[in-house]
Amino acid sequence: MKCRNESPTMKMATIKIKITILTAGLVMGSVVYAAAPPHNSENASLAVPVAHSSAEADAMRIHGEQRYRANCGRCHAAPQKFPPRMMATIVRHMRVRATITDEDVRLVLFYMSQ
Amino acid sequence: MGRIVRTYESKLRRACVWASRVVVLCLFSTVLNAQTPVPAPETERPVPILTGNAGFFTNFNGGQTELVPSITPVLLVPLGDRWLVESRAEFTGEFERPDEGGSYRGKVEQEIDYLQLDYIANRYLTITAGRFLTPFGIYNERLYPIWIRSLQPTPLIFPLGTGSSDGAMLRGGFSLNPKVNLNYATYFSTLSTVNKFESDRTAGGRLGFFLPGPRIEAGASFQKELQDERSHAFGFHFAWQPTPLPLNLRSEYVRSHDGSGYWIEAAYRLSQVPFWQKALRRTEVVGRAQQLFAGQITEEEAEEYGLPDVNTRQGDFGLNYYLRDGLKAAASYSRRLNSDGNVNLWTVGIAYRFAFPLGRMSPQ
Repeated sequence: MKCRNESPTMKMATIKIKITILTAGLVMGSVVYAAAPPHNSENASLAVPVAHSSAEADAMRIHGEQRYRANCGRCHAAPQKFPPRMMATIVRHMRVRATITDEDVRLVLFYMSQ
Repeated sequence: MGRIVRTYESKLRRACVWASRVVVLCLFSTVLNAQTPVPAPETERPVPILTGNAGFFTNFNGGQTELVPSITPVLLVPLGDRWLVESRAEFTGEFERPDEGGSYRGKVEQEIDYLQLDYIANRYLTITAGRFLTPFGIYNERLYPIWIRSLQPTPLIFPLGTGSSDGAMLRGGFSLNPKVNLNYATYFSTLSTVNKFESDRTAGGRLGFFLPGPRIEAGASFQKELQDERSHAFGFHFAWQPTPLPLNLRSEYVRSHDGSGYWIEAAYRLSQVPFWQKALRRTEVVGRAQQLFAGQITEEEAEEYGLPDVNTRQGDFGLNYYLRDGLKAAASYSRRLNSDGNVNLWTVGIAYRFAFPLGRMSPQ
């Protein structure tokens, strides 16, 4: 049976269901997309990225510094470098606080851990 | 007919509750199975940290001197490869000399700004639950700590749409392409009257773009109040750090039931000045212009929220000197213009950021 004159309660409930379904769709979409193999060969490790040669390490350091200045410099002056285990916590905190991308987090962590 | 509608409403409500439960279950099972992270080596495992800032400022506000010591500890506890518990408390003293004379007296305000559990589900999504900083604009979440903010007085519009929320939040940031990063946050907050965990029933979100090349950031925020006036607020933010200059430009605009306004701030580090390099490279000059248009609230409400109850314009000028990493001396002058009377506000003091590990820094 279809009611043409829906009460405000029904309208609200319908809206809530729509929002719930939309949110769930968005979340699951992102999860499914993320679960697919990444375009490059990187795995899902949250560790400091490993450079396989000194040239690669230099390139990652340069990129890391660029990402660091672009992301961290948006809010505050450059802090000193901390030990790797502290930096791993700090970048995880900043990833959430400043919505920094996954790739930027890895490169900043590499640069700040050298 | 009425009974049929009531039955239909009841069924719909029950369906809504069940749909929510199914969605939550699906969400967690999917998220947990989405990616199995490769654990970090022992030497790179994140360690719990106690960080935060401490400061001591003296404010001269229209002839009244106020001493403001503060300490804001931040506790970060990483759990496994994807979880983080983070909390920030704020202890701020406000001491003034009584009108009749005598020593400084006052009180220490205590706040819990956030106490949240974060789960990094994947590269696009972080799920947060608990008490968190309301993601509205950029000042509240990113620029508020005293060691970060360029000017110690907060913007006039700061109380609008910001504060802390109790509930759940979905957020994340990812690259759309090499030139554009997108970031988002969406949340629901419940009404809470629990001491130190007060929050309003609201829902909202923020969407932003960051261009890493020119270092330009822009975005918009929205908030819907789900109680009282059921009003809504929206805002815009913009930031730019031009690559060739040590210059930081930031701005926010807010329009809400409680008031509207904007601020525009420029902070310039004097590192490119060719003389007195030793001192000037540590020096930053700051200017801010701001305006607030009073909203539809009473004088008492305005005082409670920390807002001027009349239209106000203000100009701020500041000088920061970075003594060493995490330690800066700051001074500022503000001229406030409104129909209650024009006043001068002076601030001078020092801010320090600390960070200590709460665990072994190397494996046994």
